[in-house]
Amino acid sequence: MSLAARNALIALGITIAIIGTVASTIRYLNQARVTELSAITEKISIEILSLDTQFSLLTAAPCDSVASSTTLANELADLGTRLVYAEGQLGSNNPQVLRLKEQYSLLEIRDYLITKQLATACGKKPPVTVLYFYSNAGDCPDCDKAGYALSYLRDTYPSLRVYSFDYNLDLGALKTLIAVTKIRNSLPAFVINGKQTYGFTSLTDLEKQFPKGSLATTTVKQ
Amino acid sequence: MSPETFAYPFLFVAIFIESFILVTLLSKPAREARAQKPGGTTPSVAVIVPCWNEMATITTTCESLLALDYPKEKLEIILVDDGSTDATRTAMAHFAHHPQIRIIHKENGGKHTALNAGIAITQAELIGCLDADSLVEPDSLREIISCFADERVAAATAAMSVYRPKNILQHMQNAEYIFGSTLRHAFASVNGIYVTPGPFSFYRRSVIEKIGGFRYGHQTEDMEMALRIQQSGYRIENAPHARVYTKAPETLSKLIKQRTRWTSGFLRNILGEYRTLIGNHRHGALGMLMLPSALLSIGSSILLFSLLIVMFMRHAASVFDIRFGIPLSYAMIPHDSFDWFYFPMSVYLFLGAITLLASISLITIGKRISKTPGNLPFDIASYVLLYAFVAPLWLISATSDVARGKRRGWRY
Repeated sequence: MSLAARNALIALGITIAIIGTVASTIRYLNQARVTELSAITEKISIEILSLDTQFSLLTAAPCDSVASSTTLANELADLGTRLVYAEGQLGSNNPQVLRLKEQYSLLEIRDYLITKQLATACGKKPPVTVLYFYSNAGDCPDCDKAGYALSYLRDTYPSLRVYSFDYNLDLGALKTLIAVTKIRNSLPAFVINGKQTYGFTSLTDLEKQFPKGSLATTTVKQ
Repeated sequence: MSPETFAYPFLFVAIFIESFILVTLLSKPAREARAQKPGGTTPSVAVIVPCWNEMATITTTCESLLALDYPKEKLEIILVDDGSTDATRTAMAHFAHHPQIRIIHKENGGKHTALNAGIAITQAELIGCLDADSLVEPDSLREIISCFADERVAAATAAMSVYRPKNILQHMQNAEYIFGSTLRHAFASVNGIYVTPGPFSFYRRSVIEKIGGFRYGHQTEDMEMALRIQQSGYRIENAPHARVYTKAPETLSKLIKQRTRWTSGFLRNILGEYRTLIGNHRHGALGMLMLPSALLSIGSSILLFSLLIVMFMRHAASVFDIRFGIPLSYAMIPHDSFDWFYFPMSVYLFLGAITLLASISLITIGKRISKTPGNLPFDIASYVLLYAFVAPLWLISATSDVARGKRRGWRY
């Protein structure tokens, strides 16, 4: 065998080994991402259950004992951001991503309900909440723009609660929420403090959908 | 299918070729070539310097040749003025009475005619060429002579680098030249060299007499000669310690013109008269590996560059569309946290990074082998930052010229 042929065979072996190692490393790192997402999901799940339990135990004076769930909302938002990124990396049909999205949606619904219950029980003005329904099945060209505009509003007005839901997710609780809020399959769709809005044209138009003064009175993030 | 899927076959080939080069550098013939010391043999040598309007550089080029560590009676220098219209004749006149120097003035006919005019008046055993914008180290000739100990060797090349690089473009070229030296050193071990560059390549006179002198070669007479030598079954060697410095274009426009000429010359030679070399197992690594991969690298660079532009435009349009109407104070600032979670990990990016790292390693190895002086980190940084964006410009220009049958002047 000539020197060139021998070297070419060795080089081929090295190339295959490099590509195999890279593919395995990427698979391992992506799995580590999913594991981290699972850990965050579990943590938030426990915190919500704890909040729920505290609320049930102290029905007489819930407002004195139940901590603010603002931290929880931030953690939920962080989980949502990570989930969107993981979805982009692993694909929206990845079974682990789908399972985590279902768990995330359940946590969002639970947080939404507890926030409403706390506000009612304590006689406080409830925070402005936005239920945002999107689709990443290619049938919602304005969803990316709407999502970014809502990220801007949430980062600018920390007390604003934004809950994002994949309209096409096959989850019983989500289907019930869609039925209860009477949201049609015309996306993007928003439920802002109980009022439905469809479509996205601009940030200015979206801001007009919020109750008067609701954004202005919240604390602006520095 | 995502656009990046197209890149995978090319990345596979790039990693394969780089692995082949690294393995070849470690193999016995390359190790022996590096360990070889200049021998005591001193055959007669003629160095031909073809000049066309080289008044600014011919003096320093000539002085560096006169400083070569070689018996004076065995070394002649032939300056060929190829119909210059500037003061090259006057600059040459300063050396008119030097015993080692002969001067020829002729009508302009192109570099190959100047080289042949020089060959015609010498009986030296070995004939070297040196572009008039290049300089040599004193020991470089002895290093090269040692390559001709093997009778099958018809030509030998040196280790080139850029003479005093000043701007970022010249530093980029310096890294590229050193990279090229590493490649030639590895390719020589498997007789895969397909160009004997103008700066200080040497030829055995007896071989030139057999296969004929220099030809037009689509303005790349050095490549045409190397391909003809290979086609005739001889070997082309490399002297990794023979350092030669050449002046590099200082502007992008000049660089693109020079490289368009080189690349279109390569394509015209290899797809024309020498196409039978491609895929020809009789020519070993040259036919089966070097020439196909050189052709593939041109095609892949153009394709990947085009894909990059398309993907960038699409991404930029999408980013602009999504952020339209959002206050700039928010839209212009990245909001992703510095967390490993968001590190963009894909097979494509990892393989691209490995290809780049291997290239950097080969440049570093080339500098160490040739002991080329200079600021290597800055050269590499310039190469990494610029090369992938500027090289496709001349590749596209040259491919387009060849496809349209367009021919340009030497210094159009």
